[in-house]
Amino acid sequence: MNLSDGERVNAVLNEAGYEWTDNEEEAGLIGILACSVRQKAIDKVYSRIHKWNKWKNTKNLVTFISGCVLPDDHEKFLKLFDITFQMKDLPKLPEMISQYGIATPTHLKVGIDPHNENIEEFWNVKPNYQSGFEAFIPIQNGCDKFCTFCAVPYTRGREVSRPSKDIITEVALLVAQGYKSITLLGQNVNSYGLDKKGEEINFPQLLREIGELGNRLKKEFWLYFTSPHPRDMTDEVIEVIGQYPVLAKQIHLPMQSGDDKVLMRMNRKHNMEKYRHIIETIRRVIPQATIFTDIIVGFTGETDEQFDNTRKAMEEFKFNMSYTAIYSPRPGATSHRWIDDVPQEEKKRRLHVLTEELRKHNLPFNSNLVGQTKRILVRGTDRKEGYLSGHTEGKLIVRFAAENEKLIGQFVDVKITSASDFSMEGELVKTEVEVVA
Amino acid sequence: MKEHKVIQTRQLTESTFVIRLERNEMIFQTGQFILLGFNGIDRREYSVYSGEKDDFIEVLVREVEGGKVSAKLKRLKAGDTVQVDGPFGFFKFSPDMYAVKKFLFVATGTGISPFHSFVRTHSEMDYRLVHGVRFAEEAYDHRDFDPDRLTLCTSGETKGDFYGRVTTYLAEQNIEKDTNCFLCGNSEMIYEVFDILTGKGIPVSNIFSEVYF
Repeated sequence: MNLSDGERVNAVLNEAGYEWTDNEEEAGLIGILACSVRQKAIDKVYSRIHKWNKWKNTKNLVTFISGCVLPDDHEKFLKLFDITFQMKDLPKLPEMISQYGIATPTHLKVGIDPHNENIEEFWNVKPNYQSGFEAFIPIQNGCDKFCTFCAVPYTRGREVSRPSKDIITEVALLVAQGYKSITLLGQNVNSYGLDKKGEEINFPQLLREIGELGNRLKKEFWLYFTSPHPRDMTDEVIEVIGQYPVLAKQIHLPMQSGDDKVLMRMNRKHNMEKYRHIIETIRRVIPQATIFTDIIVGFTGETDEQFDNTRKAMEEFKFNMSYTAIYSPRPGATSHRWIDDVPQEEKKRRLHVLTEELRKHNLPFNSNLVGQTKRILVRGTDRKEGYLSGHTEGKLIVRFAAENEKLIGQFVDVKITSASDFSMEGELVKTEVEVVA
Repeated sequence: MKEHKVIQTRQLTESTFVIRLERNEMIFQTGQFILLGFNGIDRREYSVYSGEKDDFIEVLVREVEGGKVSAKLKRLKAGDTVQVDGPFGFFKFSPDMYAVKKFLFVATGTGISPFHSFVRTHSEMDYRLVHGVRFAEEAYDHRDFDPDRLTLCTSGETKGDFYGRVTTYLAEQNIEKDTNCFLCGNSEMIYEVFDILTGKGIPVSNIFSEVYF
């Protein structure tokens, strides 16, 4: 989400005449798009701003902060940063900078506007996409789910859906410009449209419209979305993905825990029966789909037995990737008021167990692909010299011998020759562009 | 967040009270919660205590030691304002099912709040309420429930219908498998009741929970 926000901030500042620099010490304007999901990220913000404020003794520097900021932090940042604003007020940033030193109502406003009024103005900012072949499109902002481990409902406000016609127009423009990978973004992407109470299409309908657009445009691209919530994951969403070639056969479905009681305490509003039904439906309707997940280990009160249920769930569902996080209480989230009673060493052990579990079934899955030719989106040069790397439609990493960087951003066909736990290697079979060896 | 004027506050015990607010056209479903707060910074979630058809909104609040919001709420007087956001939450049921399904409500302390809203809204419900508290004085507004459907479990004295915790009481009860079980209160109680209910053959899909702390 912050990457997508950053592309819009970049566009607004470029338009106002600012030039990007990679050299922090050279900058006259420095900003942070914060993330409040983990305390560590916020600690880094405090460390940076103290450094920048020291620099002000020797140079002219204006600082700003936006993004995902808790009300308590926001109040402190008012004193530390020159400008603080909510992302929905981004179009006013140049005006705020020009009025720097003058107290304006926008940057003195304390607290978060929970209703995200005027968020459309932010969405209407045409972003400076950082990549020429991968793009992220925000389709929804905010969260109404109130998971007990998460502070997003308090930082991003309520769920607000972007008009579908604007989303479809942005997808069409990107495809026309040759973008190959497009990701729809939202805190609860599949509750899209529900806030409009019948006046907007819902998420499967949005996917269907993009699928139809893909059929009409006859250009090859993969459309992803993240993150969905299991509660709002209907069979219809899965069926639509199965029907349209441009809808990528990769689904990221956060499980968070494999234990019903932990899920209750997390206030996830889904149980393992529901989660299992979704996975079974995906396997039945889109057997080739890869499935990724998010898991938290060591959540408040998680017993050995409850953790083992998560491990068993990983064994059962055989995820292709799991973004596993060690639980840390975040100020502002409900669980911050609870005792963080799983020792850090035990949390690390649980993380290690799940990583090994993932490794255990990834290798046979990847090994089964050896000998097959897979479509790959080339994303960059590989660490291995003389190799490029990319991912399959299912976001499995593949590297292959090739040095011509013209292939970056292109689809190629690669025959898989070997597999390891988290990646594969192959031989280039076919490219869409002429490549001089 | 919208400003809502306080109509009245009603003290139930030394630490627990009901705040009645102007409704301001807020539409909610029984079982949902709202955020109450001040200055856009300090906010807490409270289940709605009043019924869907009432022309006011009520919440049941227990003052928490060191709590930023509950202490301020306790000081509110008629005519003061408080910021309200919501409603939120999925601790609810399809509205047409309330009249035809069987329900078991299990609450500890102020976890009785959503069930007060359920019963006030759907008086025809076939329900049983098991309410666990330490002392009988915490039997918040029990007069609003059908006494034949209510069991007060007191763990700190013998003045309730049952002396002991809700978990001990429930372990001894026969519960039909098609009962829809709603649990609200502290997570330890919810964990234990979950085990008791699943042990009695209640499917997980019939168990709904709202964790307060």
